[in-house]
Amino acid sequence: MHDTDTLAESSGDLSVDIAGLTRVEGEGSLRLQVRNGVVEQAHLEIFEAPRYFERLVVGRTPDEVIDIVARICGICPVAYQMTAVHAFEHGLGIEIDPAVRALRRLLYCGEWIESHALHVYLLHLPDFLGYPSALEMAHDRRAAVEAGLALKRTGNRIVELIGGRAIHPVSVRVGGFSRSFRRTEIAALRQPLTAALEVALQTVDLVAGLDTPQFERDGRLVALRHPSEYPMNEGRIVSSDGLDLAATDWRSEFSEQQVAWSNALQARGRDGRPYLLGPAARITLAGDRLHPMAAAALARTGLAAEIAVNPYRSIVARAVELVDATAEALDLIEAYEPPHEPAARWRPGPCSAAWATEAPRGLIFHAYELDDQGLVARAQIVPPTSQNQAAIEADLAAFAPRVLDLPQREATLRIEQLIRSYDPCISCATHFLDLTVENVG
Amino acid sequence: MTPHPPANPVDERAAIGQSGAGPQRVVVEVLVCGSPDRADDGAPSVAARMIGDHLSGDARVRIVGQLDIDDLLAVPAGAAVVIVDAATGLRPGQVVDLPLTGLIGGQGRVRPRSSHALAFAEVLGLAELIRGRPVWGRIVAIGAVEFGLGAGLSRPVAAAMPALIQAIRGAIEQVAGMVPIEERF
Repeated sequence: MHDTDTLAESSGDLSVDIAGLTRVEGEGSLRLQVRNGVVEQAHLEIFEAPRYFERLVVGRTPDEVIDIVARICGICPVAYQMTAVHAFEHGLGIEIDPAVRALRRLLYCGEWIESHALHVYLLHLPDFLGYPSALEMAHDRRAAVEAGLALKRTGNRIVELIGGRAIHPVSVRVGGFSRSFRRTEIAALRQPLTAALEVALQTVDLVAGLDTPQFERDGRLVALRHPSEYPMNEGRIVSSDGLDLAATDWRSEFSEQQVAWSNALQARGRDGRPYLLGPAARITLAGDRLHPMAAAALARTGLAAEIAVNPYRSIVARAVELVDATAEALDLIEAYEPPHEPAARWRPGPCSAAWATEAPRGLIFHAYELDDQGLVARAQIVPPTSQNQAAIEADLAAFAPRVLDLPQREATLRIEQLIRSYDPCISCATHFLDLTVENVG
Repeated sequence: MTPHPPANPVDERAAIGQSGAGPQRVVVEVLVCGSPDRADDGAPSVAARMIGDHLSGDARVRIVGQLDIDDLLAVPAGAAVVIVDAATGLRPGQVVDLPLTGLIGGQGRVRPRSSHALAFAEVLGLAELIRGRPVWGRIVAIGAVEFGLGAGLSRPVAAAMPALIQAIRGAIEQVAGMVPIEERF
């Protein structure tokens, strides 16, 4: 088969493999099973290994766990740290200083900015503008790439200051942080964040005007919802079909399953339905909690309703969240008062601990059992990508028939673009993917 | 102290590509990639520790973990780099030493792991575009097989550590004389 052949022109059964490469935080590939022009199966094969981490943390103290789980992902380590630390503090009944809470939210803002800027500008935007990579795009649109890099740098700077380093931060501790932060240290973030907010607002305008493929999904959306804030560290788990439960109770509604084609467990509702997490779900389910500047930016786009159903519009949702995170970070800096102590005092002991937060890619859930010595006896870590996997597969199966009549190369690009819309960790790999079509008939 | 410009740039250019010592050598930044607690991904860090005290005076080690565009933008004008990373697309334990441009061109099979979300060629290309000048240097890569957290080096990678260290030293010597004169000052 040649690049110019269409998938539909091939006779018999087809196995369409978009083969991935090895990546620590995201190894994956896509396999479409096509029989006589009909997509029978879409398997997103993910080779991440979060199960190892669940075993690695057994016998460890809560503080050790916080450092270990940060190693699960190089893009969103804060999400893993925040979910674990909140779980332990909730389970052990530890009250934290409001200033610590604000610092943690600022740290999470940094990760959202860094992660969303990377995805919007360097991974996803080239798809919409017809470039094979950010490098190709940069030759024509250097200013856009530099804007994205500046945004990413600002996010990294926040994480580096509060987390101790930009990648795999080390300062988060049960009860607070390993050290205090002076007002002047935090205030140093004001200038880059002010510039970043301006870029973020421009980003919304840029991506809202992109020509987007028409595709509507009709699936369940799930996100956290907080009474007064855009969901990040806290909130209740809600869904587009009326679910409303405590962040600690994820397991009462959802469960993980082993599937033959993936090392990651797939999470589904207990009724077997897939569901989608991430920026589009958050905007849809908690858009009324956006920072006023982000809410105004979203309103200007007129795309709130389309974000709920068209995965390609997730780039707009991500851009709106860039505004939200930069604007909120500025507010947090203005209001910052150092905590009385870097961390609250606490005593180790037995407990059941569980929590959910919102990673850039969507809701993340952790649950731990601590034994009498306060060491982890059991752990469950449910990252967003493994929860989104079933929904992505369902969407790909629904979308693929639209590209069967396209030349193979173009079909591959369309499919990759859709995969990137969900910002899975395997976005690391999708930029390298080669499409091979194997006739299995 | 700012060095004086060369009296005769034409004569000095003759040294480009040579590995000799002396005033024409430039600072070499050794960018060590990978995560030391992820099995073979930690091979560059292990090599950096072993080689650390025995580097020539014009080379300095910088631990970068994930190679970011900003890591390359931080390389001073006039300096050269040696990037050390674990890679797929090689036999386990196989050590290769390539010019940076080799990974953009015909060596696509070798995939350094630590540029993370962006391909290595994209990170390098974007850095060069923003710098407005090439990043001069080489990449020393070792074929890796194990990347699990908490695991040690795999047997073939552990056995290849002397070869990795030798390749790093060789690359430093090679790049120390490769930056064009006009880039150095």
